Amino acid sequence: MKTGIKSAAVLLVALMASVAGVEAKDTLTIDLPNDAATLDPHLQWNTDSYTIYRNIFDNLLTRDTSGEIVPQIATAWNYENDTTLVLKIRDDVTFQDGSKLTADDVAFSISRIIDPALKSPQLSQFDQIATAEVVDPTTVRITTKSAYPALLAQLVKLSIVPKAYVEKVGDAEFNLKPMGSGPYELAEWKKGIETDLKANDSYWRGQPPFETVVFRAVPDVSTRIADLKTGKADLVRDVPPDQATSIENDPNTKLLSVPTERIGYLYINAEAGPTEDVRVRQAIAYAIDKQGLVDALLEGYGAPVNVLGATPIFGYTDAVEGYSYDPDKASELIKEAGAEGAKLEFLTSPSYPRAVVEAIQQMLNDVGLDVEISSSDQATFLKRRQGDPANAGSLAYGAWSCACQDADGIIFPLFRTGSIWAKYSNPQYDALVDAARSTLDEDERKDLYKQAYEILREDVPGLGLFQTYALYGAAKDLDWQPSPNEAMFVMDMSWQQ
Amino acid sequence: MLQYAAQRLVQAIIAIFGVLTIVFVVMHLSGDPTLLLVPQDASAAMIAELRHQLGFDRPISVQYLDYLNDLAHFDFGVSVVQRVPVIDIVASRLPYTIELAAGALVVAIGFGIPAGIIMATVRGGVIERVLTAIVVTGQSVPTFLSGILLIFIFGVTLRWLPTSGSGTFSALIMPSIALGALSMSTFARMTRIAILDELGKDYVRAGRARGLSMEKIVVRHVLRNASIPVITIAALEIGNLLAGAVIIETVFAWPGIGQLAIQSIQSRDFLVVQLIVLLISVVYVLTSVLADFIYVVVDPRIRLVR
Repeated sequence: MKTGIKSAAVLLVALMASVAGVEAKDTLTIDLPNDAATLDPHLQWNTDSYTIYRNIFDNLLTRDTSGEIVPQIATAWNYENDTTLVLKIRDDVTFQDGSKLTADDVAFSISRIIDPALKSPQLSQFDQIATAEVVDPTTVRITTKSAYPALLAQLVKLSIVPKAYVEKVGDAEFNLKPMGSGPYELAEWKKGIETDLKANDSYWRGQPPFETVVFRAVPDVSTRIADLKTGKADLVRDVPPDQATSIENDPNTKLLSVPTERIGYLYINAEAGPTEDVRVRQAIAYAIDKQGLVDALLEGYGAPVNVLGATPIFGYTDAVEGYSYDPDKASELIKEAGAEGAKLEFLTSPSYPRAVVEAIQQMLNDVGLDVEISSSDQATFLKRRQGDPANAGSLAYGAWSCACQDADGIIFPLFRTGSIWAKYSNPQYDALVDAARSTLDEDERKDLYKQAYEILREDVPGLGLFQTYALYGAAKDLDWQPSPNEAMFVMDMSWQQ
Repeated sequence: MLQYAAQRLVQAIIAIFGVLTIVFVVMHLSGDPTLLLVPQDASAAMIAELRHQLGFDRPISVQYLDYLNDLAHFDFGVSVVQRVPVIDIVASRLPYTIELAAGALVVAIGFGIPAGIIMATVRGGVIERVLTAIVVTGQSVPTFLSGILLIFIFGVTLRWLPTSGSGTFSALIMPSIALGALSMSTFARMTRIAILDELGKDYVRAGRARGLSMEKIVVRHVLRNASIPVITIAALEIGNLLAGAVIIETVFAWPGIGQLAIQSIQSRDFLVVQLIVLLISVVYVLTSVLADFIYVVVDPRIRLVR
């Protein structure tokens, strides 16, 4: 009898919860793997923090769905010379406390993020900037240390914070009670649990689509999908490809996918071990069936690439030929190099898809190598991968995105001599990528990157495998087109009529 | 008694100190958070700069002494990831873990002990077989699997309970069952063994010979004597529940210190990890000391001397 009462009570609670869910249609609930670590947009660059605070703040520039850099707080910009960029600032923007956003706030935001005292992990994205000064209330002048073509792409990531408010409350308080000029303002932050935002009714771009937005921290992917299917969440991120069908088949949910700028690639150590021999590296390139990886492991949610780059990236070229899948040729090259049965250590961590790593291991073993997987936690993995070549393993799988949609953010850090990721050195290559990062001429830059990609094809210090797709699970009636840079702007979402 | 208590206290402090030191060394040796904080296209110079600002370029011995010094002043530091005091982070999540552990203990004791008594006294029937099956299932199914199964059955298919989250009684039910299942089996088995053990003793036979009913003997004498090993288990199970909570909290998005520990280990948020470890080891040690003292209350024949 008692159990009967109890289950009736449980049923009643569940019923009430579902009724509440129907009524709260002006609330959008999004499940993320983690809550924001910080809400100060200048302090943290992890995906979950960015996803949330990006809706509280406006950025200086932004990208449209086609990937073009377009105005947000800046309405227009022009180069006075190779190192001086002048931006015009919108005159009709107010922060959430009603104060006006001016050039002062923009210059303050830039100066704040490049100030070493703030200890911003994003400093490396803005360290080419020397100064930011106010010309008049709607004009800001940025000076860079040298000509820096990726500047606009980096400024896309710069959030504008209110100078007066930050100075008044201090950095620590600003992190807990952030205030920006974006479409949503912070309602409540239950740290580690959820972040609740409410609509900023006086937003300059118009009324935001939902009254409240709740970002919940749900680390386990099966739980995120269960939340979506039961209506507890309206949108979930990081859906693995093998779960795509179950979301598509559910009448209440749908799968959203978009090709991103993120590239799955294989690092090959060119400075130590058996892969020091270029023939072994080329053999590895021939041994990998990229299409097979995409079909079997990504369920088709990806596309093989010819270089380490994809269409959303400036500098991407389809004029450089990729390696065809040719295991016989691979075996031959390995024999020729005398590397049959050579032991290769394949570094990885739980952050990378184990199935992809194991499939590559199998493909390489099939052509005569002896690949051993060595898995550690992400920090240990990075320490080895970025450290001394002799200890950096022979291979590693990586998923690269600089969120800047520019080849400079990909192949420069990966292969330029002296970079922490590069276990490779070629002066000719260095000269090309150096030149490409110091000219503003777009055609010239494209040509330089094409030549750089050709050298990478010959030397194979790394191999582009596939362009990855971002997969989201969404409620059937949520209208949203995800973008290649994996941003989640709630302003672009709405319920279908 | 006092001497024994002092002895246990010293042992406890040494144990906690040892655990802290091991965790400190292991976490610091395998890499610092700087690499995880910066964007992946950061240059070596930038990483070195941030590492210096955060103080991770100092020798590990210096960092360790600093840490101990801060600890002695009850200063737990500021998280490098979240940039807020570590004590605030842990304090905000602790009530959730206590709530979950309490729920799990209710499940474990509420089902486990009666099941153990029934299994020991009512032998050879259908009831015993059903209970045995439940107990064996409870101890052999991994907690993450039982968690996911519960979500699938009661959350997604039947829609009786919320699939994740916290703050309501209904949200507490599934994680408590999933977390309590393992302890429930331990309680049932230990209770059963302890009672069977007692039932074979002379005083039971003597009681029977004096004409006392079996029920009277069990309730008056057997249960009391059998409770001693069960209490030990109860105390140790609290520590195990905290360890099990790490997995269950992740599965159910339950925002306790278990989930926080996982997140902080992944992001190398050293100070948070160290405070959680400190907390858990203190709980472990306190509960085992507590068990020793409860012995005396339950059975005054046991003396706390060595």
